[in-house]
Amino acid sequence: MSDVKEVLDELRPVGETTQFIVIRLGDEQYGIDIKYIDNIVRMQHITRVPKVDDYLKGVINLRGEVIPVMSIRIKMGLEPDVETKSSRIIILKLEQQGTIGVIVDEVKEVVTLENERIEKVAYDSKDEKSNFLCGVGKSDGGLISLLDLNAVVLENV
Amino acid sequence: MDVSQYLEIFLDETNEHLQSLNTQILALEQDPENMDTINEIFRAAHSLKGMAGTMGYKRMQTLTHDMENVFSEVRNGNIKVNADMIDVLFQCLDALEEYNTTIRESSDEGTNDNSALIKRLNDIMNGGSGGGEAPAAKEAAPAAEAAKAPAETGSGFQKMKLNENQQSVLTEAIKEGKKVFGLTVKVQESCILKAARAFLVFKAVEETSEIIVSEPSSQDIEDEKFDLSFSLIIVSEAELGEVLTAARGVSEIEDVSGTVLELDDVNGKGAAEEPSLAAETASAAPAESSAPAADTHEATPPAATQPAVHNQAPAQTNSPAAKKATNKPVVNRTVRVDIEKLDTLMNLVSELIIAKNSLVSASAMSGNSSQAVNEQIEYLESVTTSLHESVMKVRMVPIESTVNKFPRMVRDLQKKLGKKMELYMSGEETELDRTVVDQIGDPLMHLLRNSADHGLESAEVRKERGKPEVGSIFLDAYQDGNNVVIEVRDDGNGIDTEAVKNKAIERGVITPEQGEAMSEKEIIGLLFNAGFSTAKVVSDVSGRGVGLDVVKSMIESLSGEVEVKSKLGEGSTWTIRLPLTLAIIQALMVEIGDEKYAIALGSIQTIEDIPPEDVKLVQAKEVIQLRDLVIPLIRLNEILDVPSKKDPEDNLVVVVVKKGDKMAGLVVDELIGQQEIVIKSLGKYISKCKIISGATVLGDGEVALILDANALI
Repeated sequence: MSDVKEVLDELRPVGETTQFIVIRLGDEQYGIDIKYIDNIVRMQHITRVPKVDDYLKGVINLRGEVIPVMSIRIKMGLEPDVETKSSRIIILKLEQQGTIGVIVDEVKEVVTLENERIEKVAYDSKDEKSNFLCGVGKSDGGLISLLDLNAVVLENV
Repeated sequence: MDVSQYLEIFLDETNEHLQSLNTQILALEQDPENMDTINEIFRAAHSLKGMAGTMGYKRMQTLTHDMENVFSEVRNGNIKVNADMIDVLFQCLDALEEYNTTIRESSDEGTNDNSALIKRLNDIMNGGSGGGEAPAAKEAAPAAEAAKAPAETGSGFQKMKLNENQQSVLTEAIKEGKKVFGLTVKVQESCILKAARAFLVFKAVEETSEIIVSEPSSQDIEDEKFDLSFSLIIVSEAELGEVLTAARGVSEIEDVSGTVLELDDVNGKGAAEEPSLAAETASAAPAESSAPAADTHEATPPAATQPAVHNQAPAQTNSPAAKKATNKPVVNRTVRVDIEKLDTLMNLVSELIIAKNSLVSASAMSGNSSQAVNEQIEYLESVTTSLHESVMKVRMVPIESTVNKFPRMVRDLQKKLGKKMELYMSGEETELDRTVVDQIGDPLMHLLRNSADHGLESAEVRKERGKPEVGSIFLDAYQDGNNVVIEVRDDGNGIDTEAVKNKAIERGVITPEQGEAMSEKEIIGLLFNAGFSTAKVVSDVSGRGVGLDVVKSMIESLSGEVEVKSKLGEGSTWTIRLPLTLAIIQALMVEIGDEKYAIALGSIQTIEDIPPEDVKLVQAKEVIQLRDLVIPLIRLNEILDVPSKKDPEDNLVVVVVKKGDKMAGLVVDELIGQQEIVIKSLGKYISKCKIISGATVLGDGEVALILDANALI
C-alpha cells in the first residue's frame, strides 16, 4: 500500500515548494517562512527599552546595527520566555517593519513543504493563537503550524 | 553630441545661476544703478544661455537670450531699470525654473514657449531704447575704443627715444640697405619668469638682427624691471615677418608686434616730442600692428577666469559710488560629491568609532595594558575624533542655499497680501549638516509666511498703532554651542492668546474649563495642534490648517525643537534649535539600576551632588534649589521603571539639563563618564518611547539607550 503511495508521490508533478524553519515554542512547533529570515543568533544581552509594550523585549547589537527584539510567546499570550541553552533570536527582515528579532525556544530544522500540502486554517476568534497562523503544513514529522509573521510583529494598537 | 551625462551638472548649475539671478535682481530692485549687479546678472543670464544652447534646449535658450539682450541694453545705459521690468524678469526666472523642473523630470524642456514673456521682454527693449539709433551709436563707441587700444599697444616702440649715437647707427644701417624694425613684445600675464622669457626673445631676435636699443634698458629687463611689455629697435637683414615669427616662437609670449622704421622715423625720434611723429605712427601703426594687436585684445578674456563682461566693467562704471560693489564671490576650488557617498563615509567613521570604543574597553578590561598600548589607543582616539570632525565638516553647508530664496518669496508675498514688509536676514553663513539644510527650508518658509500673513498688520493698522508702515521680518541664524539656532521674528501683532483659546474651544480641541486653567504658554502650544488655524479668511498664503503642526513634526524629525515667544501688539519670535550633527555626539554615560544610559552633553548644564535633605517639596513635586533657581527633580529610575541601586540616605547625583528656559534635575545612580557615541535609530518599530531618542553601541558591544532630555522636561 505504502509503495503505491510513494509511486504516486513521485508521479505527481513537482509543485511549488516553500521552505520553512521549524522552531519550538514550549511544546509546540511552528514554521517560519525562510524567505523572511535574515539570520539566527544566540541569545545575548537584550537592552530593555522602557515604556513600550511588554512583548517588546528591547534592542540588541547585531554587527553594529541596533535591532529590536520581541517575544512571540508574550505576543501570543503564552508563558514568558525562559532562557535556556537552546534559546535563539531569529532575525527577520520584513518589508514593512524592517528588521526585527524574535525569541524562540529552539531552532529545530528546515523543512520543504509543497504548497499544496499547506492548508489554510479557519479563523477562530476564541483561540487567540490562530490569529497568528497562516496555515498548517503536513510534513513527515507531523503537523507544523505556520506563523503569519505580519500578524506576529504587528503592533498592538 | 550625447549630452545626457552632463544633465546633472547642467541642472545643478542652472539652479545656481537662477538663485544668483534671483538674488541679484532683488538687489537691483534696491539699487537700480549698480553696474556690478547688472554685470553679474548679465553674466549669469549669458552662462545660462550658453549652457541651455549646449544642451540643446532651444526654448530656454531663446528666453535667456532675450533676457540677456535686455540686460545688455541696461548695461549700455539705454534703458533704465523699473519696477515693471523687474516683475517681468522675475516671471522669466519662474519660467526658467519651470523649464529646469521639466528637464529634471523628463530630460526634455517641454513645449512651453513662453512667447508672452518674450514679447514683453522685447517690448521693454524697444520701448526703453528710444529708437534704434542709440544702440548703434553705442556700439560704435566701443569700436572706436577698440581702435584706440591697438594704437596704444602698437606704439610702444614709437615712444622710444634715441640718443645721437644710436640715431647715427640706425641712419647708417638704413643707408647701407639694412632694415630697421621697431618691435613691441608683450609677455603673458601669467608668465612667472618674465626676465627669462625676455632673454629668450632677445636671443631669438639676435639670430638675425642686431639690437640697437631696448626700452626699458637690457639691464632693467634682466632685473625684471618691466611691466608686461618691452620694446626693441633692431637692425636686421631679414624680413620683418621672420623676426616676428622668431620672437613669437618663445613660449609665454603673448604677442609681438613690429613695424618697419624709415629714415624719417629714425630721425624723428631724435627730437624730443615732435608732433609729426604722432601723426606718422597713427598712419603707420595700423598697417602692421593693428591686426596682431586685435588678437591681443581677444586673447585676453579667455586667459582671465571671468568672462569678458567682467573686464569691461570698471571701464563702464562711471560713477565711483556705483563701484562700492557687492563683493565678488571668491571662486573656491570644489568637488561635487554625491551625498550618498558622504553618508557611506560617515557610516564608516561611525563603525570606526565603535571599534575604537571597544578597543578602549577591551584594554581596560584586560587590566595589564602596557604604557605603549595606552599611548597608541590615545593616539587612535585623537585620530578618529579629528576624522569624524572633518567628515562632519564636509557635510556641513551654509544655510544660505536654503534661505536665499526667501527675499524673493517675501517680495511676492508683499504683492499678494497687499502689506508692506521687509525681510532682514543675518547669519546666512551659519553651517548645518547637509541633510538638515535640505529639510529646514519648508518649515522656515511656513514660519515666514505665517509671520507675513498672521503676524504683520496691514499698513493702516500699523500706522494707527504708531509703528512704521513697513513691517519687518527678521531671519537670524547663529550657532549656539552644539546647536544652531534659527529665529524668525516679526514686529507684528503677536499672538492673541484669547483668540487662540476661543478658537481651540470652538474647534473642540479643548473644553472651556481646560481653557480657563491653561497658561499663556500652553495656549500658544495649541497652535502646533493639527488642524488649527486662526486666520479668519483662508488665504492661499497660509491658513489651511496645515502648517505649524507640520513645522513642529518636521523640526522634531531633525531632532530639533521649536519655541514661540510672543507679546500681543509687539510681535512674536519663533526659535528653532537644531543639533549641529545627527550622527555622532559627545554624551555623558550614566548608570541607573543595572542599566546604562547616555545623555547628550549639549543639553547638560551642571552635575550636582545633593544631600537628600536639600530636596524640597513644592506642590507635591520634588525640587532642589540651586543658585537661586528652583529646579524640579526627575527621578529617572521611576520614569524608566528600574529599581535604583542606591541607598535613599546617600547623596543624590543630579544631572541638570536645560531646554530653552526650562531646567530639570535628572537623578541618576552613578556617573560613568564622557564618551563619544554614535547615534543609531531604534527604528520605527520601537518609536513609541518618547523619552528615548536613540541607541548607541558601547565598546563592549552592548546597546545603551540615549535619553532625550528635551522630552523629559
